[in-house]
Amino acid sequence: MRILLAAATAMACAAPLWAEGDHGLTIPSLTAEVTPEAGLEAWDRLHEVFTHPRCINCHVGEEAVPLWTTTHGANPGETRPHGMNIHGGDSRVGAEYIDCGTCHVTSTRPNTTPGAPPHAGLDWQLAPLEFQWTGKTPAEICAQVRDPERNGGRDGAGLIEHITHDAEVAGFITWGFTPGAGREPAPGSLQSHLDDTAAWVAAGMPCPGDPLPASAPTEASE
Amino acid sequence: MGRTRTIARRSFLIGSAAVLGGVAFGTYLAVKPSENPLTESLAEGEAAFNPFVKITEQGITLIAPHADSGQGVHSMQTALIAEELDIALDQAEVSFGAPDPAYYNTAMANDAVPFAAFDEGLAARSMRVVASSAFKILGVQGTGGSSSTPDQYDKLRAAGAMARETLKAAAARRTGLPAEQLKTENGRVITPTGEAIPYTALAAEAAQIPPVTDTPLRDPAEWRLIGKPMQRTDIVAKSTGTLPYGIDISLPDMLHAAVRINPRQGGELLDFDAAKAEAMRGVKAVLPVTGGLAVVADNTWRAFKAAEALEVTWGPAPYPAEQAEHWEAVANSFTPERLNTTWRDDGDVDTAHQGEVITAEYRAPYVAHQPLEPLGAIIRADANGAEVWSGHQLPRFVQMQVAAKVGCEMEQVTFHNQFIGGSFGHRLEFDVITLAAEIAAQLPGVPIKLTFSREEDFAQDYPRQIGMARSTGSVKDGRVESWALDIATVSSSVSQMGRMGLSLSGPDAQIVAGAWNMPFALPHLRVRGYIVPELAPTSSWRSVGASTSGFFAEGFFDELIHAAGADPLEERLRLVTRPVHRQVLEAIGEMSNWGSDLGAGRGRGLAMFESFGVPVAEVVEVTDTPAGIRIDKVFVAADVGRVVDPVNFENLVQGGVIWGLGHAINSEITYADGKAEQSNYHMAEGMRLYQTPQIEVRGLENGSHVRGIGEPPVPPAAPALANAIFAATGTRLREMPFYKHINFV
Amino acid sequence: MELSVNGTSYSLDVEEDMPLLWALRDELGITGPKYGCGIAQCGACTVHIDGQAVRSCQMPVGDIGNAEITTIEGLGTPEAMHAVQQAWVDHQVAQCGYCQSGQIMQAAAFLETHPEPSDEDIDRAMSSNLCRCGTYPRIRAAVKTAAAKLQGA
Repeated sequence: MRILLAAATAMACAAPLWAEGDHGLTIPSLTAEVTPEAGLEAWDRLHEVFTHPRCINCHVGEEAVPLWTTTHGANPGETRPHGMNIHGGDSRVGAEYIDCGTCHVTSTRPNTTPGAPPHAGLDWQLAPLEFQWTGKTPAEICAQVRDPERNGGRDGAGLIEHITHDAEVAGFITWGFTPGAGREPAPGSLQSHLDDTAAWVAAGMPCPGDPLPASAPTEASE
Repeated sequence: MGRTRTIARRSFLIGSAAVLGGVAFGTYLAVKPSENPLTESLAEGEAAFNPFVKITEQGITLIAPHADSGQGVHSMQTALIAEELDIALDQAEVSFGAPDPAYYNTAMANDAVPFAAFDEGLAARSMRVVASSAFKILGVQGTGGSSSTPDQYDKLRAAGAMARETLKAAAARRTGLPAEQLKTENGRVITPTGEAIPYTALAAEAAQIPPVTDTPLRDPAEWRLIGKPMQRTDIVAKSTGTLPYGIDISLPDMLHAAVRINPRQGGELLDFDAAKAEAMRGVKAVLPVTGGLAVVADNTWRAFKAAEALEVTWGPAPYPAEQAEHWEAVANSFTPERLNTTWRDDGDVDTAHQGEVITAEYRAPYVAHQPLEPLGAIIRADANGAEVWSGHQLPRFVQMQVAAKVGCEMEQVTFHNQFIGGSFGHRLEFDVITLAAEIAAQLPGVPIKLTFSREEDFAQDYPRQIGMARSTGSVKDGRVESWALDIATVSSSVSQMGRMGLSLSGPDAQIVAGAWNMPFALPHLRVRGYIVPELAPTSSWRSVGASTSGFFAEGFFDELIHAAGADPLEERLRLVTRPVHRQVLEAIGEMSNWGSDLGAGRGRGLAMFESFGVPVAEVVEVTDTPAGIRIDKVFVAADVGRVVDPVNFENLVQGGVIWGLGHAINSEITYADGKAEQSNYHMAEGMRLYQTPQIEVRGLENGSHVRGIGEPPVPPAAPALANAIFAATGTRLREMPFYKHINFV
Repeated sequence: MELSVNGTSYSLDVEEDMPLLWALRDELGITGPKYGCGIAQCGACTVHIDGQAVRSCQMPVGDIGNAEITTIEGLGTPEAMHAVQQAWVDHQVAQCGYCQSGQIMQAAAFLETHPEPSDEDIDRAMSSNLCRCGTYPRIRAAVKTAAAKLQGA
């Protein structure tokens, strides 16, 4: 019943699956004219999403301990290790100790109960280790996201497909924007996130600190 | 048919009665007050008989009237009877019995008088007699105050002994052998030739002869069960999911109810719209109840969902809306007008404090009970009265409260007490009982199971008293010289008794419980209690007043000892006055290897506090790790006079320590807009397994009275932890919950 | 809707989003799984779904499909206890006992895949189940005893 590391194994597809999918999103153009400056601005918005607690709290490192951003207690708003001594293990799904899915069931139904563990249409899990975002600078995260070796083998189109596929299965990205039960959503919407991704891709995936290129990198023109 | 051959044995009357198909053994109670109901002979009709042992041809039934909320008294009561009756623990059916005044709890009354448990002076003894008689006349069949073992220790063994000897007498008549030649074993009378006559076969004859009531209780050296590890009678059922708790009971045609009560407790429901809820699947009715609304549905979850969907407008709370106002009310109560009484005044602290003094202020917040089985009750009411299924610590009051709600006599209310999934004091309250009765009264003949959602349970809980202490002290020549301890709390006794229609006469000893009677002889020591005007409703919370006063007293005592430059154990040993307490301190010193080097970044803290007559010393060892404080180990020494079951004793002590530590670290109830801000366990977590230290336990038996252990391990836990953290880090924690000030791993 | 619980197939007509816990307790009369918090904070409602421990208060019945559900009643009986249940009896773990169905189900699922757990493993696997009575020291010991017993079996 478990789909291990679904996100990690999803590969970019040549055929645009989303065209037939039920993701409800408007697919932006990847070949629009986007200046590097506008691309970097799009990246900034992407970075804001990635490092929002709804996203980064499961993009942790080798320690494999997910994070909580508290809404109550001694210091509301502080980031702390997930309660209950939770450890994701090398499996990143807690299989060595207690499965994420023991509490975070797999379901596409809305999250409505305050304090209850959130769920999504994918099996709950930590992001793969190579997707670690905690403790990284924006430039480091950016370099990860545009590197197929460290982003699940995705090119620009693959990144777009990653989002639309997530929308089809009510996955983690979708959940991040609609976490329900009083949780603060990631900034923007899934559509704006998709648009920003597309703009960033169209601009040639510029990262902070990149030497300003004379022309767009090749990834975007595939 | 009852025969009242009565004797004055200790403080109860025992006898037998014939019952259908057999015989019953138990206690008699005067049904009318008299000069001295404990010793007067009672005429037929003047006494109510209640059995602890019933034997018929069909089998042996034991009646264990104390409620079991996990402390194991069901099993303990069985063992006390079985020890003398010579049966195996699994040889009898055990029932909670019907509520009856004969089950009045003499030991509980002992703690209602303002005298130290060790005080055997004339005034203390006469007060206990008065209070005990009052409880008896009231018919308080109470479970609480760690009183079950003290209450039943003699009574049940006496009932078992009388039953055994009477059965032997019956066998003697049948066989013509002298009773002295007969033995008993495994529920049978054994003749010298080895013939075994089951008790069940003798029941009818035993009913025809006078009970043998002058049997001395066995010498502890002869015990088979008491003092040895026993398998709890409920343990298999509780390990296989087969033990039905109150929440698991189901009756034909039963409906499920949920409530939505003003979270500003005691406030009114001003307006509501139930249209949405009424249209939901499975909803049968939306009914008015005190302070809010009830939804009756065909499934608990549907009732919960519909209750959530009710649109309601709540009135204001009858207490301050914001937490800061509650603290302000406590802080403003250290005044002559609010002085409840000066409990102790040794020497002359005022003169002693003319020089350099050490001062500190301590705080303890409201804390919720939150047993894991949410509050619930099943009630069916009709023109003939009512029937109630629930777990409760005060069965007779359940009958009274239900009778008042459904409009009948309390004798018309049948109460079936149930195994309880935790209480910690909450099942002394009647909230869920009266609400279920109100619903049932509106739907005559239909069994209604009311279950509080966890959120409703938090919103309607009556937390532990909020309080503060202000201490001033001085040291001289490396010794603690003087200490003035002023404690101000709301009175949970006043709040709780008020809801029962009772009032507290005299000062509330719980405000200063354990502190005023601390067994230490300082040259100058004064303890004063101040009563804070009623704020949010509060109630008894595991260890009651001692849960706050223990922290206040033993935390500051450690500060004084530190200021004196003395050793926490040595200074206590120097000042301790009572031998039993001294032995507890000596034991904890030895167990914890006190004085040995723990290494860098580590610390140990000591606290000793008495509650319910049980002195408990605890040493907590902590390590200051980069991520926060880790509690490594706890040592506990407690004197209960007699350890009935060492396994259950250890379990209860460990649980009490975990309760005390967990809540001290991370739990409080705070009010905003008149409502408790905490709604579920994620906001009031208590301790979890990974945080649990090793807990080494020693039970001492030097005390002269047998005592209960459910609560006494709680009070020393918080101060021992605070003192250990100070030793490890130099940070002094004076306010619970501690996680506001320091991280824990 | 069909549910397979402890090897028996049940047909029931309930909302798809009803939590499995309430379908078991109020519709099927299977009361071993307990309601404690409703938000996966306590674990008292733990069951196995295809062998994996799951908080039944979080599991909408409509998302279970034909997976096999096991409750504490299906793990073992008083007459024929599972090794974990026997260890719970041997160590006299329970006080009030209300959380213990869930603790036992969690431990049984854990030991199924981790027959030789370290102390640290146990602390990680068992810390999502709340026990208000504080039986944790005995839970730790019982998990170890059960592991040894299962190894020997």
